[in-house]
Amino acid sequence: MSKIKKVWVIAEKESALAQLCAGGRQLGEEVAAVVLGTKEETGKAITMGADTVYWLGEFKPENRMEDYVKTVLELLKQERPDLLMVQPTKRGKLIAGRLAASMGTSVLVDAAKIKIDEKVQVTHLVYGGAAFRTEQSLTETTIVTVGAGVYTALPEDTSRQGNVISVDYLEPSNKVKLLEKKTKPSATVNLGAAKRVVGVGRGIANQEDIKIAEELAEQIGAEVGCSRPIAEGVNWLPTERYIGVSGAILKPEVYLAVGISGQVQHLVGVNQAKVIIAVNKDKAAPIFKHADYGIVGDLYKVLPLLIEKFKANK
Amino acid sequence: MNVISCYKIVPDEQDIVVLQDRNLSLERAEWKIGQYDLNAVEVGMQIVEAVGGKVSALSVGDKQLENSKLKKGILSRGPEELFLVVDERLGNADAYLTAKALKAGIDKIGSFDLVLCGEGSGDLYSQQVGIQLGELLNVPTLNAVSKITPAGDKLVVERTLENEIEVLEVMLPAVISVTTDINQPRIPSMKNILAAGKKTVTQWGLSDLGTEGIQKPTEILSTLAPEQVDRKQIIFEGDSEEVVQKLFENIQKELL
Repeated sequence: MSKIKKVWVIAEKESALAQLCAGGRQLGEEVAAVVLGTKEETGKAITMGADTVYWLGEFKPENRMEDYVKTVLELLKQERPDLLMVQPTKRGKLIAGRLAASMGTSVLVDAAKIKIDEKVQVTHLVYGGAAFRTEQSLTETTIVTVGAGVYTALPEDTSRQGNVISVDYLEPSNKVKLLEKKTKPSATVNLGAAKRVVGVGRGIANQEDIKIAEELAEQIGAEVGCSRPIAEGVNWLPTERYIGVSGAILKPEVYLAVGISGQVQHLVGVNQAKVIIAVNKDKAAPIFKHADYGIVGDLYKVLPLLIEKFKANK
Repeated sequence: MNVISCYKIVPDEQDIVVLQDRNLSLERAEWKIGQYDLNAVEVGMQIVEAVGGKVSALSVGDKQLENSKLKKGILSRGPEELFLVVDERLGNADAYLTAKALKAGIDKIGSFDLVLCGEGSGDLYSQQVGIQLGELLNVPTLNAVSKITPAGDKLVVERTLENEIEVLEVMLPAVISVTTDINQPRIPSMKNILAAGKKTVTQWGLSDLGTEGIQKPTEILSTLAPEQVDRKQIIFEGDSEEVVQKLFENIQKELL
């Protein structure tokens, strides 16, 4: 694969920055990280693979990362990298979109694969997971968002040397005022990184019954995920746990689908799993066509028996 | 408050056919209003019901937009008026071209206090158009907004991020993209549907807006259904102890 010259990366979280730096090293000759944070964090970016750090300075609690869009935009226009990769958090999407609008292009979102063939070619899911679309930007700079798991972080290399360039802050013209931050009662779960996942769907009749799936997950050392209706219909689990085209995309070794019918939107989130196991009472559920192992039966009978067997086997 | 709610019409996913060569055919697809856009219309209605004003609906796309059932569909949910920008080139538009066309429509409408968009389109779900539109209009813009409270010439909004909720004060005019859980869109009554047929629809082409030169900055190389992964397909029937034992043994084998 040929390489492009300059790749820039922006991420909110350090783990994501490490993955994007690794991706940048694969795709480009030079990697620059745009960092808002402490001096130590700029050093960290270099050990994770950046050659250059554009340092926006220390984060001030009264500011928001979005306040730096104008600063980053001026820098982009000046340095004209071939590719800018952004972590697709809500903030990341807003930042990428505002930068793209000002640069006269669209963000190529949620890249599942990036390939260099003269231009940067980006593949991502469309139509609720029915297809992968490959697109390229016709502008000088391509802007993409790249989710967790597309690239694997490189081992930290403390001998790496790099440049840290301090960037002056430009006051934004349309600043939004931060009144308050509330903590969200959210489970910090990273389904994308889980080796084993138990997914629950509407075959579960009551919210409290999710604990049966949780118990099974505990027995096999798995995380619990769910289909969209569980997170955004009945709200039994937080949205961080939902799997599918607009939720998490999994690459676990084992995925166990409990009471999940297997709509295409859900299947795209799991079809990269090495092994898929399904429990569903409906023989015609599409999930069985995509399963390695399955049981057509009542999950309220199957799960307790399975849990018992795993316990007995310890 | 002068509110413009944007929407997109999308092919019904159920009707998308995967062809032998893994390409997709949308030929037999019914078109519908993007489900996440209904939240944006509903937010607009609730705001004007609370503080007065008017909601207009705006969409850009190709001739599918002219379908009278879809026009009635959006107007039956409350907006007083509908504006459409129709051009063949907008049929497969990307986020930037869509935002450019929406901006041209908004410039032609003349003024606004608040533009609302859904969380993402029902087909491509890039979650970018509202953001781009705000930037192109050079007004404050936010995504992931889960609550809006009008406060004079400002809004106080809650923005739900991954690990926190921001409470923000936004000066109007602004462009806001709302989450799907901000409300439960209303179901139009027969009376609403009948009334919708009498509302004003204004349609422009790109040349009416002086934007016939706008270009799409990205290019689609291919759109292909994912390759099927071969699965073992060892499916047992029944939920007796013996059957579960067989499944258990297979899971055990895979976990090792």
